[in-house]
Amino acid sequence: MTPDLTSSLRPATASIKPPILELVNLHKSYGANTVLKGIDLRVRPGELVCVIGPSGSGKSSMLRCCNRLEEPSSGQIVVDGVDITRAGVDINRVRQGIGMVFQSFNLYPHLNVLNNVSLALRKVQKFSRTEAEQRAMAALARVEMQDKAKAFPAQLSGGQQQRVGIARAIALEPKVMLFDEPTSALDPELVGGVLKAMRELRDSGMTMLVVTHEMAFARAAADRVVFMDGGVIVESGPPEQVFGAPEHARTKAFLSHIRAH
Amino acid sequence: MEAIDRLVFTFFNADVAAKYLPDILRGMGVTALLGLAIVAAGLALGLGLALLRSMAPRWLRILIEIYADIMRALPPLVIIIVLFFAFPSIGISLSSFAATWLALSLILAAYAEESIWAGINAIASGQREAARSTGMSTWQALCNVVLPQALRMAMPPLTNRVISITKSTALGSVVALNEILNNAQSASSHAGNPTPLTLGALAYLVIFIPVVFIARVMESRQSWMK
Repeated sequence: MTPDLTSSLRPATASIKPPILELVNLHKSYGANTVLKGIDLRVRPGELVCVIGPSGSGKSSMLRCCNRLEEPSSGQIVVDGVDITRAGVDINRVRQGIGMVFQSFNLYPHLNVLNNVSLALRKVQKFSRTEAEQRAMAALARVEMQDKAKAFPAQLSGGQQQRVGIARAIALEPKVMLFDEPTSALDPELVGGVLKAMRELRDSGMTMLVVTHEMAFARAAADRVVFMDGGVIVESGPPEQVFGAPEHARTKAFLSHIRAH
Repeated sequence: MEAIDRLVFTFFNADVAAKYLPDILRGMGVTALLGLAIVAAGLALGLGLALLRSMAPRWLRILIEIYADIMRALPPLVIIIVLFFAFPSIGISLSSFAATWLALSLILAAYAEESIWAGINAIASGQREAARSTGMSTWQALCNVVLPQALRMAMPPLTNRVISITKSTALGSVVALNEILNNAQSASSHAGNPTPLTLGALAYLVIFIPVVFIARVMESRQSWMK
C-alpha cells in the first residue's frame, strides 16, 4: 500500500481489503466471571481502530486475547488468514507478527534502550548483533529515541519509556499493533509525544488496535471507534458518528460522563 | 611483663608457628578447594531447582519445597555425620572430603533455590508478558528477561549464604577432614601449645576477608534497580 495516503481516503481504501485481524464470537471467562460475551471485530490493513469504554468493560481482555496473552474461552482469532486459536499453531511465530505496547511500558530494567529493542531481534528472529542493532536503531529513530540508545529505562521519563516500548514492538515489523492504554500511566505533559509517535506510525500504514481513554486522539486519529461495555461491542463506526451522533443510550451516557470531567 | 611473655609464648610462639605452618597451609588448600567445590555445585543445583520450580507441575514444586525446607532445618553437622557415618551401612562409603562437600552443597542448593525462586517470583508479570509478546518462548523469556533480574535481586542473600556455608567447611574436622581447623587442632595438641590455632584463625581470615570484600562490592553494584 502507498504509505502517504491522506486520512480521508483511508477508510474507503481499507474497506475493500480482507481483514488482517478478525475476532469471531470471542468469549472469555475467569471462573464464573464472564468478561467477554461474544465479540465480533474486523480490523483491515492500515486501519486504526480505537476501543473505548468504561473500565471493566473487557477492552483490555479483548486486546490481550488478540496475541493470546489471555487465552479465550471460546471463539476464533484470525490474524492474516490464520486462526491462531487452533491447536498446534506456533504462537511464538504468530506473536512476532503482532506488536504489543503496554500501559506500564514493561521495558526490561536490566538492559539499555538499544538492547531492549534488539533483544527479540537477536533471540527470536536470530539476526546477528550488528544487523539487530541496525534494525533497533531504525525503530528507535521512528519514535525519535535514537539519542537515548545507551540509556537505561530508569533514566527515562515515562513518555520516553513508552516510545521505546513502541520501538521494541515495531522493530519486529509486525503486521498489526496492539496498544493497551498506552498513555494511561503517563503524566499529562508526556502524553503528547507518545500520541505523536502513534500518529506517525498510523501515517506509515501500520494497522493498529488501540484501547484508550484519550478521546481527543480517538476522534482525530481513528478510522473507526469501537465502544465496549459489559463485555460486548455496543456500537462502532467512524469517530464523527460515534462521538457526534451515538445511537445507543449507553454510548451517550459514557460520552457525557467523560465530557463532564 | 611476665603475663605478656606468657601470652606471646602461648598464642604467638614463633618456633611452634614455623614448625606447623606447612600443616596449616595444606589445610588452607583443602578449605579453599572444598569451598570452591561447594559454591560451584550448590549454586548450580540451586539455580536448577529454582528454574525447575518455576516451570514444573505442582507435585514437583511441592517436592522441591520439601527438600529446601528439610535442608534448611537440619543442622549442617547432622547431615555431614549421617553421610559419613551412616551411609557406609547401606553400602555408600564417602571420603570425609566427599561427605562434607556433598552435605554443604545440598544445603547451599536449598538456600540458593529459595533466594533465586523468590527473585523470580518478585519480577512483575508484565516483564514476562512483554518478552512473550515479542515471540520469545517461555524458556527464552525466563533466561533473557526474568532470570537476569531475579539473580541480581537474589545476590545479597546469596552472598551472605555463600560466606556462611563455606565457613562451615570447618565442620569437616568432625569427620577427620584435613582442613584448616582439624590440622590446627591436631598441631596444637601435638605441640602442647595453641599457637597453631592462632595460625588457623589467621588462615580463615586470609581466605574469607577477600570473599567478604568481594560480596560487599557486588552488593553496592545494585544501582540500576529502581
